[in-house]
Amino acid sequence: MAISSKRITINLLLIAAVASIPIIEKFVPLGLHISDPMTDVFVYAILGLGLNILTGFTGLLNLGVAAFAAIGAYVFAISTCEIYPFQLGFWSALGLTMAAGALAGFALGAPTLRVRGDYLAIVTLGFGEIVKDVLVNMDSITKGTQGINPLPPPTLFGHELGGSGQYWLFMAIALLVAVGARSLERSRIGRGWISIREDELASRAMGIRPDHAKMLAFATCASLAALAGALTASRLSSSGEPGNYDFQISILALCIVIVGGIGSVRGVLLGALVMVGMNSIVLVKLTELMGGSDSAPPAALAEAHGLQWAFLFVKTWAQNVLISPTNWKFLVFGLALVLMMIFRPEGILPARGSKEDAPDGDEGAGGVAGGVTGGGVSSVATKELRP
Amino acid sequence: MQQTVAAAEFLAACALSRVDAVGGFARDGLLSSQEVFTQQLVTGLSNGMIIALIAIGYTMVYGIIELINFAHGDLCMLGAYFALTVVGALGVDQWAGTGGIMGLVLVLVGTAAFCGSLNWSINRLAYRPLRKASKLSLLVSAIGASFILVNLGLFWGGLPMDVFADGTSSAAPKAFPALVSAAPAAQIGDVIYSRTDLLVLCVTLPLMVALTYLVRFTKLGKAMRAVAQNPTGASLMGIDVERVIGASFFIGGSLGGFATVVYSLYNQTVSFQMGYRMGMDAFIAAVLGGIGNLPGAVLGGILIGVIRSMSDGYLEARWTNTVVFGILILILVFRPSGLLGAKLREKV
Amino acid sequence: MIRRTASIVAALTGAAFLLAAVPLNHAQDKPSKTLKIVSSLPQTGSANAQTTSIVNGIKMAIEERGAMVDGFKIEFEAMDDASPQKGNWDGQIESANAKRAIADPAVVGYIGTYNSGAAKISMPLLNKAGLVMVSPGNTAAGLTKPGLGEPNEPAVYRPSGKVSYFRVVPADDIQGAVACEFCRNDLKAKKVFILHDRELYGKGIADVFKKTAEATGVEVVGFEGIDAKASNYRSLVTKIRAAAPDVVFFGGTTQTNAAQVLKDLRAGGAKIPFVSPDGTFEKAFIEAAGKDSVTKEQGGVYITFGGVPSEMLTGIGAKFVKSYQAKYGEIPEAYAVYGYEAGCVLLDAIDRAETKDRAAIIAAVAATKDFNGALGTWSFDENGDTSIRTMSINTIEDGAFKFVRTAGGAAKAK
Repeated sequence: MAISSKRITINLLLIAAVASIPIIEKFVPLGLHISDPMTDVFVYAILGLGLNILTGFTGLLNLGVAAFAAIGAYVFAISTCEIYPFQLGFWSALGLTMAAGALAGFALGAPTLRVRGDYLAIVTLGFGEIVKDVLVNMDSITKGTQGINPLPPPTLFGHELGGSGQYWLFMAIALLVAVGARSLERSRIGRGWISIREDELASRAMGIRPDHAKMLAFATCASLAALAGALTASRLSSSGEPGNYDFQISILALCIVIVGGIGSVRGVLLGALVMVGMNSIVLVKLTELMGGSDSAPPAALAEAHGLQWAFLFVKTWAQNVLISPTNWKFLVFGLALVLMMIFRPEGILPARGSKEDAPDGDEGAGGVAGGVTGGGVSSVATKELRP
Repeated sequence: MQQTVAAAEFLAACALSRVDAVGGFARDGLLSSQEVFTQQLVTGLSNGMIIALIAIGYTMVYGIIELINFAHGDLCMLGAYFALTVVGALGVDQWAGTGGIMGLVLVLVGTAAFCGSLNWSINRLAYRPLRKASKLSLLVSAIGASFILVNLGLFWGGLPMDVFADGTSSAAPKAFPALVSAAPAAQIGDVIYSRTDLLVLCVTLPLMVALTYLVRFTKLGKAMRAVAQNPTGASLMGIDVERVIGASFFIGGSLGGFATVVYSLYNQTVSFQMGYRMGMDAFIAAVLGGIGNLPGAVLGGILIGVIRSMSDGYLEARWTNTVVFGILILILVFRPSGLLGAKLREKV
Repeated sequence: MIRRTASIVAALTGAAFLLAAVPLNHAQDKPSKTLKIVSSLPQTGSANAQTTSIVNGIKMAIEERGAMVDGFKIEFEAMDDASPQKGNWDGQIESANAKRAIADPAVVGYIGTYNSGAAKISMPLLNKAGLVMVSPGNTAAGLTKPGLGEPNEPAVYRPSGKVSYFRVVPADDIQGAVACEFCRNDLKAKKVFILHDRELYGKGIADVFKKTAEATGVEVVGFEGIDAKASNYRSLVTKIRAAAPDVVFFGGTTQTNAAQVLKDLRAGGAKIPFVSPDGTFEKAFIEAAGKDSVTKEQGGVYITFGGVPSEMLTGIGAKFVKSYQAKYGEIPEAYAVYGYEAGCVLLDAIDRAETKDRAAIIAAVAATKDFNGALGTWSFDENGDTSIRTMSINTIEDGAFKFVRTAGGAAKAK
């Protein structure tokens, strides 16, 4: 497992390249505007890395990770905003947020240890919906859909950071989390997680305590998600509304992890770049390329017949919807997901040691992800379509 | 199928003969607490039966290839658009008398066929290439398919037809013509049993019976159960596993098609974003009952419907989702594999 | 070897950091003959219908002037602040849009946002950068009016201390009150049941409605937030039937299921008036509700709207309606008029501004007095609010909106 020095060089070069984006943008007037969306990529990378610990390493499918981000954003907002009595600084609030996130993860993880596989997935999904609802409904505390603002921007040694400063700070935090996740993966704890994913019973026999390990994974995941939520809130100077942390964000986080390559830290970083970059860069460019659209008055369909009618019908339809680029976004996003999965089912950068040569299960789901959601449950004995 | 609808109409007609005129609030609108409860129960059951029918499609696919088919709700959404198009193109809402019933049957069967074929095609294009991949890759593919379907719904709403408001605002919700009048079929005290309530019952119950028969007593059903239990074993026994998977996608999809027509007739609104909630409710129902278990899905669906209705009625509507998910989590904590789910055994 | 590469990379990175720390403003006001206006509205997802008509309205305002103002060419870009994953506005995208607009020196006006929540994110950014923002859709009172929102509002949106945010729509505080007065005076309601969609807009209006009702002696027999994604509201209707109100008020929009609430109300046998705010003042609402549930025999539907409806417009408004109809083949929605008005008032200000820089244009927009626009003749007050306080009450007859009467008016003026 020795890390080759070539790898270090490549990593450093990559980091330097990414770090230099704001500078290039400043000096080369190409109209790039990607440093801002890139900052979002870092936040989503943190979210993805957190989810990767739970879903990628430990094999527990979580469909409610956005709830932890919401908890993070709101704890951060309430502890810093001027309309509340606490008014902590950026860093202390960040610490508090991560602790609160860990606590929330623990609170969800502890009672649901017995719940497995897809049942756990829906418990986490339900948790996400409950958190969102509570945040909306407890409006005397959370301001409901108003959102909480203003929030302090990120600071470093007492200086408020602007655009590029935030870029580097978030990048540094994301890197730190990535390095942390990588070393966790290789540590005793991480090996424990992976062994639970592969075979819970065997890992128990080897002296690992699955309950402790799972709860730790839950807490770490939640804590990182909360961190991501707090960073976003600070950057936007607003907690946003609870609806901003709904199921769709959990799905996006899951897509980041899986598209990147589940269980692989580098894969998750790349996944965040691809998924969020698609939003901020590809879809925006697509809109620009297709240009503004104009709808036209509906054609006189009633008077037309036969071929002419068909032509007019299609033409009107095209003018109604097809011409507008924004109407294509769901399709582009969905198609990208399906195609990526078909051509790279293991993700763009799969975790090493998870290749097809791994022993296949009965359902042919080999590799790292095969263990996920099956979660050490023998599928042969239990799967049954019961009339 | 035709008999079913005829039966519904007959029941409705019988009931109609003893309906009081309904105008404003009878008796100053003050319902007795028992009447309120009965009414909420009726609403809950109707909603629950629709959810149950969709949940069956979920659970069938899950039982066979262990995929949470995220696209299922959006498939139903497209089904509703298909049904609306058929209604608009043929003017089904203008057909009177027996023609109306024929029209209803036509829409039901047509939509079921459409949804079934669409589900089969989705399986072919988006899931089958991933048969050897991990379950999570399959899940992401399903999520992608769901986004594509949502977008197709958005396009569909832009068709220059009357029923789509000439397609001028494709994203807006569309009204679904009342093929079955929402008028009360019967009123006992102040409890209203609407014709649509009856319709729900008359479509969903026979379908559930038919499906049980299919899975339990036919050759295809046997093959499906075999594939669910052990695909490798089944294929060794000479079962064409891919064909069986395709068949269950078709059947699950067509049940969704029936459900979506009933849903559209009951709610009279379709929108390209309605698939999310349809799918979500059905998913919860399937899990609550024990995913992969057909009676479980029905039980789960009815429970979700009734819980929603009771929570709206007796608690505050804004807490309903919390109540539903809270109960779900509690049940799963104490019964980790759902109400009727097989007990999960650890690998030994 | 590796170590040397690493240290070179590190040194380069360090140097780059230092360089970037030097403030460099090449975004200086170069003399340019092209000015740009951008809009930031959620065009992916549920609000697509309204935002498209707003964009159409803005485009018409620009085209009417031949895309030229005072010798300057006007460019327009419609930005989307929604993402496909969410299908709704997204704070990160709204923030990115604002930053993109700020970074482009040609941009002199920002038309947006549609959601008040999104405005809270971009307002301080644009204010700090001194870029004028004109909203065709935000109605949350706290955005401009002191004392109606949080204690720190609206100062928190004005880090520069100056007002740079303007809106052409009347805020919620007026509309909620007008709706309540209408229920009490015209519909003779003694008991009302209030529903809202739990969103900023809907709940804001419902809150005002409730407050007005309590102050004027109308009994509130129910106040409920609904789940806007629910498939139907039959259970809630049973609850409403049990409470036997004279009127149901729904604070919400077509997108948050107003039509479904109405249909379920009728299906549940509640033949009482249904009152809702301008979020439902669009053809899409009538289409979605279907012709049967909106009739007078079923209890009637009444909708409040800031300003008078398009067919009642005279002068410029009438002309706008005509040309919109010619171009898009339909009567413009309420939203289209707001978009058009926002575009017009901005272009008018650009025309009046001596120099075409951002600060001068803010001053020119703020100085808008007795502007003769599609919504009538109006001005911006010192908070950036429109002086229009006239609301209209509309009903639905034969599948179309029908003007009932005006309401509100000068009585509410400061």
